[in-house]
Amino acid sequence: MKSRWWIPVLWLIVMVGGIWFLITRLSIHNDLGDLLPQGSTWTQRLLLSQVRTGLSGRLILLALEGESPDELARVSKLLGESLRDNDRIGLVGNGMQTWSKEEQALLSKFRYLLSPTLTADTFSESSLRQALGLRLDDLRSPLAPILKLSIPADPTGEVLGILQSWAGWNGPEKYRGVWMSADRTMALLVVETRASGFDADVQESIHQLIRTSFEVVTKGTRVPLRLLMSGPSVFAIEIQRTIEEEVWWLSVVAGTLVFMFLFLSYRSLQLVLLSMIPISSGVVVGMIAVNGWFGFVHGITLGFGITLLGMVDDYPIHLFSHMTPGSSAPAVMRTIWPTMRMGIGTTAIGFSSLLFAGYPALAQLGLLALVGLLTAALVTRWVLPFCIGQGFAPREIRPGPLTDGSWLAKGGVLLPIMLSFAIVALIWSDTPLWEQDLGNLTPLSSEQKELDHRLRQGVGAPDLRDVLVIEELTEEGLLQKTEIVAKRLEELRIGGTIAGYDSVSRYLPSRRRQQERQQALPDAATLAKNLAAAQKDLPFASGLFDPFLTDVEAARSQKHLDREVFAGTMLGIKLESLMFSHQGRWVAVVPLRGVADRREFAAKVTGWGDMAIGYMDLKEESNRLMMAYRDRTLQLLGWGTIAIALALLLGLRSITLLWRVLAPIVCSLIVVVAVLRGSGEPLSLFHVATFLLVVGLGLDYALFLNRPEGTKAEQIRTYFGLLVCSTTTILVFGVLACSRIPVLHAIGLTAAFGSFCCLLFASLMARREVHVA
Amino acid sequence: MNFGASDMHHGFLLCSVLLISAIVARGAESASPRDDHSQNEWTIEHVVASLKEERESSMSFVETTYSSLLTEPLIARGVLRFLPPSTLEKEVLTPYRERYLIEGDRVTFESERKHIKRTISLEDYPALRSFVEAFRASLTGDAVRLKQTYETRLDGDRRKWWLLLRPHESEGKSMVDQILLSGSEGRIGTITVRSPDGDRSVMTLSRGNLP
Repeated sequence: MKSRWWIPVLWLIVMVGGIWFLITRLSIHNDLGDLLPQGSTWTQRLLLSQVRTGLSGRLILLALEGESPDELARVSKLLGESLRDNDRIGLVGNGMQTWSKEEQALLSKFRYLLSPTLTADTFSESSLRQALGLRLDDLRSPLAPILKLSIPADPTGEVLGILQSWAGWNGPEKYRGVWMSADRTMALLVVETRASGFDADVQESIHQLIRTSFEVVTKGTRVPLRLLMSGPSVFAIEIQRTIEEEVWWLSVVAGTLVFMFLFLSYRSLQLVLLSMIPISSGVVVGMIAVNGWFGFVHGITLGFGITLLGMVDDYPIHLFSHMTPGSSAPAVMRTIWPTMRMGIGTTAIGFSSLLFAGYPALAQLGLLALVGLLTAALVTRWVLPFCIGQGFAPREIRPGPLTDGSWLAKGGVLLPIMLSFAIVALIWSDTPLWEQDLGNLTPLSSEQKELDHRLRQGVGAPDLRDVLVIEELTEEGLLQKTEIVAKRLEELRIGGTIAGYDSVSRYLPSRRRQQERQQALPDAATLAKNLAAAQKDLPFASGLFDPFLTDVEAARSQKHLDREVFAGTMLGIKLESLMFSHQGRWVAVVPLRGVADRREFAAKVTGWGDMAIGYMDLKEESNRLMMAYRDRTLQLLGWGTIAIALALLLGLRSITLLWRVLAPIVCSLIVVVAVLRGSGEPLSLFHVATFLLVVGLGLDYALFLNRPEGTKAEQIRTYFGLLVCSTTTILVFGVLACSRIPVLHAIGLTAAFGSFCCLLFASLMARREVHVA
Repeated sequence: MNFGASDMHHGFLLCSVLLISAIVARGAESASPRDDHSQNEWTIEHVVASLKEERESSMSFVETTYSSLLTEPLIARGVLRFLPPSTLEKEVLTPYRERYLIEGDRVTFESERKHIKRTISLEDYPALRSFVEAFRASLTGDAVRLKQTYETRLDGDRRKWWLLLRPHESEGKSMVDQILLSGSEGRIGTITVRSPDGDRSVMTLSRGNLP
């Protein structure tokens, strides 16, 4: 045989080149938003863009606890001041201030365009007289020194009326001027970041900034104050960190276990190291492919993708197991290649179905797994055999009770028993088949969720579950429509159907409405006449209301109020979240509070008969979105299975063999689903994706088990090889199943148990006449 | 509820009035009784102790307001109440109904004619807080703390006295220039609050409810 020494060298050069490319070019993203699907309907896309950039994602809720209320209040004030100075932070709410001086000035300037109570009657003689009477009360009240300041210019009290209508929600209770929980154990703060909630790196730096500021302001405090943080971005980073930590230690544990196991199996360090050649090649090329296609590799894809690629470790194991002292590696490879090729081809079909899931996270995973799988297979075929020295062979495998296959004859009853149990479990289990609540898939602990709930309730921040979405082609059209909707919502609020709502129309009237208000303003002569009549016999100083007359006259031709006026103020930020332009249309989002009966409310909204007004239960909507992807993945899995079956039929040219290969896999899936359900675990998208891996593993096992083999010794080697393969898989995924992260746990449990079942069932159903021959 | 910076001043003045009425109603609870008998000199401690002794749970008032905006003064009548340990109330009965209530940290303002009922925190602003705490301290007999918050001057004797209070703090000064209490023994006759712009209100107190 010709020496092919240049093959390993070439491989080494390519690998070094690949790794160098990855080091210089690879861009790893950690922005969770990149992994979110695009959504198939307009509403879903809107929802997702809101999640990515919207206000709710930018809120960080803070709580201080562990001290006396006085001390909490003091620290809350200091922390608020220190955070307000930072330009990465848009707003800090802790109860200290609501409207800034600029906003109050704007409010006063535009009061006749903004006032919700203003009508033509406001300036009639009788209304003016009534208003002036109230102003006398103001002067008699203890608040007179302040109230008197606004009396000359605003005797009808429009500014006060506007402020009252803007006070949409009652903030938390205050103590010493800052928000405090009702039991006064927590001071509450809300921070709004300028960056999107999913911009993980910026968010993390802001969290760090908050912690540092907290440490600075609490320096020298003896009693340890605690800072609690919650909110979408806090969660996102927490999740990412948990995943990174878990993946790291799980990889270390699994890697060590597999290394030790392989060493024990083959008693050769060289083989263990050689077994890493295909998988490392697969990972490198797979990453290059994902980076090239998507422009970046997501950190999470990397973690899960390498896990999924763990199955290619089976290929070198097959090679090693079939080697004998007399054989040469390339020759052995050639004999097992046809079987291996079929397994690889069919698994590739399975993995490629992930590419069509339309879900970026799964598509990246699919591409990484597919390219990695093919690369690893090619490397196993064309590179690995030439790395093994001539005449090298692993230790002789002696037939053992497990490997000689004799137990299989007696174990024949096992399959029907397990299947019956599985079917009974499937029918009788009261665990829901599918996970309906996305929330259960987050790796957040229940304490964190509980904390978030408590803070959200404490601050009175909207949980943004129920919203009305209104769309229009123009900004003015949208504002007019929100005015109509706000009127209807107000009726529903009075009727008790909803507890409250926030609408952009409250802060920014439409031009039409502003015009109406301007037209309601009387001309200078009429107003002067009415005022004089109203003032008769009242003890106001003469000429006192001249500023009022001037302001009303000015307002009659005042430039209309628009969004730009509020730019840079807190109100401006609020407006941005309530109204924005999205894909060429103007959209208003109306957050609702306390929807008593969602179905009833939805029916009322439908009853308005306007298609441009939609009610969304965001929790339902995002669950529905996830379920749509799950169903699509399931569908693709079905088509993938049919494609695999057809490919197998072409390759095997035997219905009997096809049955022997496919039936164990189908049975395994049934048993796995039954076990998951029996253990009270509803299925999610991630279980479904892992079924692909199980199918891939099962194909590999079944094809090798049904391979025509000449000698008993060869068959023992096959069994041994498959046992090693399956055990490594069970070790890796068994470790994953111990993870606290629901997604990793789901993948681990499914794959580990699936691998076990596949090997067992495939062995039981494999043709046995061969070893008789 | 949202309040601008101006509300702090509202609250400040409100509190002055209410808390002074509390002194009227309650006096200094724990001022030592022996002060009543160690005579000759008439001190703030004596005033506070006498007020406590002759304290009643409610008093009627007539308040006259003089303002630069007006050509003639305005008059309001009502009742001041005190409920131990810390509830203070000013209720205006004529010519309109209005109520201010301080319970602990909370100030509730209720107006019939304006259809308003709202609650703010007395502790919303640091200046206010120290102001109130000084008053509370004085109510529990801590005349020292009263003197810490106000520059005080007492004129007259037991039969007829005038107590002038001027806030030390700049926040207080921007709203209240001075408060003048006049009285005889343990009874306050009038409370005059003068704001820096010269406007003032004069409250005349009498025992019992309005006729």
